[in-house]
Amino acid sequence: MNAATRIDMSVRIGELVMANPVGVASGTFGYGDEYKALLDSDQLGALYTKAVTPEYRAGNPAPRLADTPAGMLNSIGLANPGLAAFIAEKLPGLKTRRCSVIVNVAGRTEDDYFEVLERLEAEDGIAGYEINVSCPNVAHGGLAFGTEPAQVERLTRRLRDSLITRASGCGRRPLIVKLSPNVTDIAVIAKAAEAGGADAVSCINTLVGMVIDTKAKRPVLAMKTGGLSGPAIRPVGVAMVYKASRAVSIPVIGLGGIVNADDALQYLLAGAVAIQVGTAIFSRPEAPLEILAGIRDFMEREGIARVDEIRSLLI
Amino acid sequence: MKRFDTTVRSLRPVAEGYYELRFTWPISAGSQADDAPAPGRFLTVRAGGRYDPALRRPFAFSDYTKTAAPHAPASVSDEPAPDCATANGEANGEANGEASFIFQLRGRGTAYLAELKAGDALDLLGPLGKGFSKPARGMRPVLVAGGIGLGPMLYLARALAADAVAGLCEAPVFVIGLRNAAFVPDVDLPSGTVICTDDGSAGFKGTAVDYLGGFDPGLPPAFYACGPTPMMAAVDRLAQSRRAPYEAATEQWMACGVGACAGCAVRLKSGAFARACVDGPVLDGSLVDWEAGR
Repeated sequence: MNAATRIDMSVRIGELVMANPVGVASGTFGYGDEYKALLDSDQLGALYTKAVTPEYRAGNPAPRLADTPAGMLNSIGLANPGLAAFIAEKLPGLKTRRCSVIVNVAGRTEDDYFEVLERLEAEDGIAGYEINVSCPNVAHGGLAFGTEPAQVERLTRRLRDSLITRASGCGRRPLIVKLSPNVTDIAVIAKAAEAGGADAVSCINTLVGMVIDTKAKRPVLAMKTGGLSGPAIRPVGVAMVYKASRAVSIPVIGLGGIVNADDALQYLLAGAVAIQVGTAIFSRPEAPLEILAGIRDFMEREGIARVDEIRSLLI
Repeated sequence: MKRFDTTVRSLRPVAEGYYELRFTWPISAGSQADDAPAPGRFLTVRAGGRYDPALRRPFAFSDYTKTAAPHAPASVSDEPAPDCATANGEANGEANGEASFIFQLRGRGTAYLAELKAGDALDLLGPLGKGFSKPARGMRPVLVAGGIGLGPMLYLARALAADAVAGLCEAPVFVIGLRNAAFVPDVDLPSGTVICTDDGSAGFKGTAVDYLGGFDPGLPPAFYACGPTPMMAAVDRLAQSRRAPYEAATEQWMACGVGACAGCAVRLKSGAFARACVDGPVLDGSLVDWEAGR
């Protein structure tokens, strides 16, 4: 490319500027410390934490994992230490990260989400929130919220109204609504989130799946069904990002089976302005930074100055 | 803990459907006392260069030999040797050890491993998890292995036998439970190892726990075990009846291996869950709910 062209890897979500478009997906990277020997998270654009709920959650019975073709099935059940322990034990470490720390928020009821968000608004070191209205592995809340447009809009509006504007620098923290693929039309839910005041939507969460052990004649997972992730779901994710990004004017963050830069570029061309890497980290912890380098190489080769220009290139 | 690419040294069958995989273990990948591939700890292997399977496979170490580089200094001194030690004390160059694990051919991950040959590349992540602790003096270490639990228990048995010779602990008793004679492993077993088979085709007829029921350890026992859940539960009952400590190496499907995903949950009798990867895999066996999910 023209040596005079400067490449700008940053992306904007609401009032937040992320250093680059690559994040690590919620639930696959813990709270940041677990992978510190294997991946330098300071080089990422964003770190999406494991979900935080008001109360401690032990999680679902075991087994919680199953191996699937080019993927995996999980039914963790939002196991997490709860809001108070998150603030006391996990947030101090997250505050030292140089990437944007996005706290994933989950709950059973609207009040649960509100409680977590309101409390975290009083804390420093958080760049934004990802609202999990799409977990397939909890009995109440989760997926139930994410499939009802009116509920998504109402929850989003209530949470949006509780966000404060900060005088120092970063303004208001963005609200990202994480969408489920387990719906008839993802565009309808994306529009509901936008109408409620979301700054972005991220898609897709996992697809509901089941594996049966034919010898034992029973499902492998204790909860019977779980969430499918990994390369197997990538074409579904790309199609849903394509659809959602044409339905709304807020940014779309794409995820689902991204393991290399080409996968990430499919999402960016489909309409995403940023991406998240999840299941690939389990197999290859360096994958997110290799993907970041690959996106940069592509931009250099193609003479693209800004990440959000990539989405305009799709023919 | 490190993810690294290394080389297969050998693969050989050790019993029906069981293999021992030996490979180069670089000193830099973890070899110091606090981060060594110790008995009970494990690694994960990427079975294939792509993402199918998407999950790495966990295996407990069955052996580790730290081999110093030919040119390395013979003893550790306060002064770093000018040409073979870096500032952080890590060996610089060819100081490679050798490690191994024993696996059972079970699915597509292990089918991939069973095709490996000397010289092939191997993508490893480790050492991971918490291993076995040393038995207290005056207690008889009683080690019980079943099925795929052979690898970590063999490693522990050899280590404790060497410690006993050095006067660091009492001589261990090692009992292996197998289905029949075809599963007797072709490995160097510590002298005195007791083989038990369900059908009596080799050694004692009955399970390892049956054998231990009539066994007098001479000293207060300390139990160590790895194997199928019914065996682990039986050792739990035996340990409780003798009021003995019990260290259990647990097994569970795993995704991250580093404590991030909470996938490898092991249910405890309290109702809480332990993560096999970082809280274990070696857990206090008296706390594990061996009946969960059965």
